[in-house]
Amino acid sequence: MATTIAEIQKEKQVGKRLRRREDPRLITGTATYVDDIQMEGMQYAAILRSPHAAAKIRSIDTKLAEKAPGVIAVYTGKDTEKVGAVPCGASLPGLRVPHHNILAVNRVYFVGHPVAVVVAQNRYLAQDAADLIEVDYEPTAAVAEPEKALASGAPAVHPEWPDNVAFTYHQDGGDVDKAFAQAEVIIKQRITSQRLIPMAMETRGVVAEFRAADRQLNLYTSTQIPHLVRTLVASMLSLDENRVRVITPEVGGGFGSKLNVYAEEALMGFLAQKTGKPVKWIESRRENFLCTIHGRGHVDYYELAAKRDGTILGIKLKIIQDVGSYLQLLTAAIPTLSVLMMPGIYNIPSIRADIVGVFTNCMPTDAYRGAGRPEATHGIERMVDILADELNIDPAEIRLKNFVANDKFPYATATGLMYDSGNYAAPLKKALDMVHYKKLRQEQAEARKQGKWLGIGISTYGEICAIGPSPATPAGGWESATVKVEPSGKVTIMTGACPHGQGEETTFAQIAADELGVSVDDVLVVWGDTAVVQYGIGTFGSRGTAIGGTAVYYALQDLKEKIRKFGAVLLEDDDVALADGKVTSKKTGQSKSVPEIAAAAYRAMKLPPNTEPGLVSTHFWEPPNFTFPFGTHIVVTEIDGETGDIKIRRYVAVDDCGNQINPLIVAGQVHGGVAQGLGQSLWEQAVYDDSGQLLTGELTDYAVPRAHMMPWIEAEHTTTPSPVNPLGVKGVGEAGTIGCSPAVVNSVVDALSPLGVRHIDMPLTPEKIWKLLRKGA
Amino acid sequence: MKISGSYTLAVPQEQAYKMMQDPEVLARAMPGCETLEKIGENEYRMKMKMVLASLSGVFDGKVRIADQNPPESFRLIVEGSGRPGFIKGDGLLKLSPSATGGTDVAYDGDVQVGGTIAAVGQRLLDGTAKILIKKFFEKLTAHAA
Repeated sequence: MATTIAEIQKEKQVGKRLRRREDPRLITGTATYVDDIQMEGMQYAAILRSPHAAAKIRSIDTKLAEKAPGVIAVYTGKDTEKVGAVPCGASLPGLRVPHHNILAVNRVYFVGHPVAVVVAQNRYLAQDAADLIEVDYEPTAAVAEPEKALASGAPAVHPEWPDNVAFTYHQDGGDVDKAFAQAEVIIKQRITSQRLIPMAMETRGVVAEFRAADRQLNLYTSTQIPHLVRTLVASMLSLDENRVRVITPEVGGGFGSKLNVYAEEALMGFLAQKTGKPVKWIESRRENFLCTIHGRGHVDYYELAAKRDGTILGIKLKIIQDVGSYLQLLTAAIPTLSVLMMPGIYNIPSIRADIVGVFTNCMPTDAYRGAGRPEATHGIERMVDILADELNIDPAEIRLKNFVANDKFPYATATGLMYDSGNYAAPLKKALDMVHYKKLRQEQAEARKQGKWLGIGISTYGEICAIGPSPATPAGGWESATVKVEPSGKVTIMTGACPHGQGEETTFAQIAADELGVSVDDVLVVWGDTAVVQYGIGTFGSRGTAIGGTAVYYALQDLKEKIRKFGAVLLEDDDVALADGKVTSKKTGQSKSVPEIAAAAYRAMKLPPNTEPGLVSTHFWEPPNFTFPFGTHIVVTEIDGETGDIKIRRYVAVDDCGNQINPLIVAGQVHGGVAQGLGQSLWEQAVYDDSGQLLTGELTDYAVPRAHMMPWIEAEHTTTPSPVNPLGVKGVGEAGTIGCSPAVVNSVVDALSPLGVRHIDMPLTPEKIWKLLRKGA
Repeated sequence: MKISGSYTLAVPQEQAYKMMQDPEVLARAMPGCETLEKIGENEYRMKMKMVLASLSGVFDGKVRIADQNPPESFRLIVEGSGRPGFIKGDGLLKLSPSATGGTDVAYDGDVQVGGTIAAVGQRLLDGTAKILIKKFFEKLTAHAA
């Protein structure tokens, strides 16, 4: 039977594997990023940065730089002292917040600390002039490792706090002492989650333009949170918030590293005001290594209490969080997410956690893909495997035994969360089937007889997404949307989220297309300009679709009601229905299309009772809870006994992120997340030497994975809708990363278990494995 | 980074020691040294060109000779900074007669680098330092000849 046009239109867009509408411009190099912005008379800034991790500044001589060709201004910390501090957004009791000037004053605290800035006609002249600035430093002792920083007699990062403690945090749920008293087995393990460099493909960049006549600052910046940047930078520069316009063009990756407010954003605003010229600064790759936030940086001490049948009774945990030299926007909040995530998806009634945040002479740590949850997931998933090994229980079986049961939802955790929905065994069973688990174990036994190293690693992760309800977030956890049907019938969505690779230009259009019965191509999704879009929070914490998408959904419901009302007036029938892009009179069967109704709504010849002209609706949506996706990743590895090289034979990811708006985009998120998880598992590590010098300061030394290093990822899913929002979605931006690292490490430890190996800290470099193969545990 | 090693100079101990205290000789022997001027007792200002992998630049710095115990030992302290970062070295040089009538020079020191050189050139530093030290002694030998 031939398909009619009407039937094609009726086909639901939500759930379809639509290709991303944003991709053509992104992959053809025609999109506009901050560095593409050009303005008449634009100047360029170069920042002189400290080569020392800790030093007093005796003097700065800028005379030669000021006279250098093309230079219009040079400023140091003394000139910018009145600019407000780089903001710390997290609040914890007793948190020690060092005053964070945008340029160093008197002292430097990490390699890369900005000391002076040159504004010149072009980038090269600015850099040349910056090299002419003479800074007389008096180096002082530095400390670069958190455990060393806690040791007595360690150099003080901030002289006012000689113990280097930025904060402590304690949380206790259930009855931990009883759990450990009743335990038949207690296992302990130190587990680290190394410092990582987020490595967005596009480095940071800012263009600032001050229009003196309007007293307005226009700030173009590569960020995940344009509205928060507007509020905070306006405050730093003592400008009226409504006279600061933040514009976020295309953003080439953030991963949390652009969920921040940086010194350079306020500094460029300062320079534009002072010089009266537009000023551009584009971070170099080396700067990106040194002075864009780092991720992770955990040393964790776990104790797990269990019964001999594998039932987990409780966890004691001490987290040592490497804070770095300053508290950036969310630095102190990140490890508290690890505590929340600690139970994983297991029924663990008692959990006690202590965090100590430690200052070091390094770049601050902050949110990086997963932000606190990968560290905790890595910990619990490793501990479950160690317990399985101790009790000689199969790692899949011990997980099934401890899962929160399907009839327990909503489930209250010992850490104070309320898990929304779950069917934890479903993805595990699916993944086990995909790898033919029983057969694989037999193959492993055979391989071992032949002296081969084959490993099977399981990670059954949970995560906290849709961050988050406002009481749980530092700056509001809602999201906003305005949806307009323009007079021509075209639909414009303005979202307060700030997509930068998550695909909402496509998924939000899919939602609108279904609700209004219009074509996806008729829907434009706009974001990232604070003068155009209503206040919003931004994109991070896997919140874009679950919260931003829900705001769009509710704005659409409002709008549909309005469309029905205008339709009723036009059709002169109160009993109308909106479907397939038209309002139909139930009495006469006559209908008016959405474009016809839109034209009438703006023309406003006849208004429905109590109805404004136009078709616009705005909704700010406050979620009642987080969402809690979950899944199983299974990794099969083969290890080369001669070289210690790890080959991933299979990577199976079965993720449950609730309903999927666009499965193609979900798979893309899983792939990207796994790539970054593999990076941490196998290759990446930010290394500072004892004097605070970053040794991995270039892509030749920092092993970020490349395409040819990726295994084939077999991505599958199960679907357990979330009851938290009407779309039933949970979020998937970080799942791949969170699920990945324990699966990889569990697999390699499993392969080497005949040698007595029980734990290996990441990254699992061939050198480390080779040594274990030679020496054993 | 720790650096240690030894080299045999084909001159008697007294002469070797004297040579290594002479700024003119040092200026010629130190690889990349462009100028060396006296600014105080046993203290010199130095301009030195360094090339390390893709990095090159001129370091402005100071050389200081301390703990002189002729003709047996002295300390050499070098500090420099420039576009590629900074370098600090502190080493003890011990002289003793060699079996062949020359002088064995044993050196033992600590070198610290910072800034771009640390981030970019760390892996090459060890090898480069060894090459530079070897060149230094070779030039000293050539001077003595």
